[in-house]
Amino acid sequence: MTILLQVTGLTKQFAERVVVDGIEFTLEKNTSTALIGPNGAGKTTTLSMLTGLLKPTSGSVKMLDGDLRANIGFLPQYPQFHPWLSALEFTEMAAKLNGVPTKKAKVEAQKTLEFVGLGNDLNKKISTFSGGMRQRLGISQAIVHKPKLLLLDEPVSALDPVGRREVLDLLKGLQQETTILYSTHILNDAEEMTDQLLFLRDGKLVEQGTLREVRQRFDEPNYVVEFGTEKEAQLFASQSELIGEIKGSNVYIEIIDEKPSMQELLQHLSSCPNKIRKVERQTASLEEIFMKVARKI
Amino acid sequence: MRGFNVLLQKEFREAWRSWKFLWIPLVFALLGMSDPLTNYYMKDILNAVGNVPEGFEMLMPELMPVDLLQGSIGQFQTICLLVLMATFVGAISKERASGMATLLYVRPISFSAHFMSKFIVMSTVGFISILAGFAASIYYTVVLYGTFEIGPLVACFFTYFSWLLFVIAVTLMMSSTFKTVVATTCAFAVIFIGQILDSLVGTFWTISPWKLPLYGVQLMRGTMEMSDYWWSLAITLVISIICVIIGILTMKKNAPTTKI
Repeated sequence: MTILLQVTGLTKQFAERVVVDGIEFTLEKNTSTALIGPNGAGKTTTLSMLTGLLKPTSGSVKMLDGDLRANIGFLPQYPQFHPWLSALEFTEMAAKLNGVPTKKAKVEAQKTLEFVGLGNDLNKKISTFSGGMRQRLGISQAIVHKPKLLLLDEPVSALDPVGRREVLDLLKGLQQETTILYSTHILNDAEEMTDQLLFLRDGKLVEQGTLREVRQRFDEPNYVVEFGTEKEAQLFASQSELIGEIKGSNVYIEIIDEKPSMQELLQHLSSCPNKIRKVERQTASLEEIFMKVARKI
Repeated sequence: MRGFNVLLQKEFREAWRSWKFLWIPLVFALLGMSDPLTNYYMKDILNAVGNVPEGFEMLMPELMPVDLLQGSIGQFQTICLLVLMATFVGAISKERASGMATLLYVRPISFSAHFMSKFIVMSTVGFISILAGFAASIYYTVVLYGTFEIGPLVACFFTYFSWLLFVIAVTLMMSSTFKTVVATTCAFAVIFIGQILDSLVGTFWTISPWKLPLYGVQLMRGTMEMSDYWWSLAITLVISIICVIIGILTMKKNAPTTKI
């Protein structure tokens, strides 16, 4: 894999407050990276520095394969367009400003708008657009010049479930040919399309790695045994030394240092007189990992 | 000046679609024609309104065509400039505040292209506006009073346009440097308070941008001291250029303040 972007010691300080604190990471070509973290963690500031809009206090952003400014597409969280332009005019302008030749720009703009699903609204004024349409237009202006790196700030947060699904599918379609870095706090989205996770908290990069690596590091699985009634669950709990927690008819059993193993648990359960409905080994969802990382000191 | 043509097209589209090419010249035209008309029909207006005492004799000053043009320019200097400046003073600052600038600033374009595209569109609107204003004023003056000599008239027009370029440069520089509210205050202060100061204590000097509109009229009267004129014109253009340069630099400096 070739590295496209290298970020070293990136720091931003506003007056007394350090918003981004010496973060370092690399982006590999044609991979998707999710920048996650709670509100105020410094995600938007980081992205702004990558776009070049904001100058870092210290540290550097290097694109190893050409000039950074000419090779990025950026979608802000709340993109604002010039309302008196049509979707086609705006996208065409975006392409031309990025150096796409005039003749090609219109064709490219049209193609891109069709790709994002605005094929029927080419000549409508942007002022008449709905939130979902604006987000699509935002994506089209970010990808029309085929940038090597696509930076998206909360690309789907403001959309309803249908719009979110559509935009996510769109982005997935881009994954093969573009390097994508996007920030989000909706973890299901990150789970769905991500090769690398960057976890930001208070301006610091507290976790990074592939989804699998991060999962392994934070995974503290437990077992759930479901009984028919709460009473049965309590009865089982009172007779066993393994129990962690009872919720309704479920008994949650914590695993510490791989103990108990599934075998041990099943042996244990085989002597139980009551009817067992379900035995399940649970793994942590990204959300649980998120909560753990967010609280980790 | 990368991206200049594209940005210029965008600015023209905006000005065109928001009717700026129509209504601002209309304001100039209306105020331009008001002076010759009201002066000529003053007696009739007073009679029609009534309340003129019996036997009241009014001595109307004998007006020359150039006096009426001077009156019209006086109108342009206040309300018309106010309209033009108020329309454009947010050109850069509002784009930043709303976040519309963000999608432009992330692209590899030069700030001088960005600034100049706005400067040229505002100048074009200004040019068409004073053209409409002068045309309206001159038409009614010629019909009601008498003709002008064409040479000095053209000189007067372009002198006023030079002053207008100064106004535009100041306005856009303020818009680029400050937020809209501060920019408005500062631009109005420079242009309008500058005018007042220049007319109050301006007898002590003869070279100043604020005197340029008056000098244009004096060119027509033939009473202009030419060295004062040239010096004022030169200093106005130099200050305008300096304002443009400062505007471009502060636009670049303030780029990170765009709403993301």
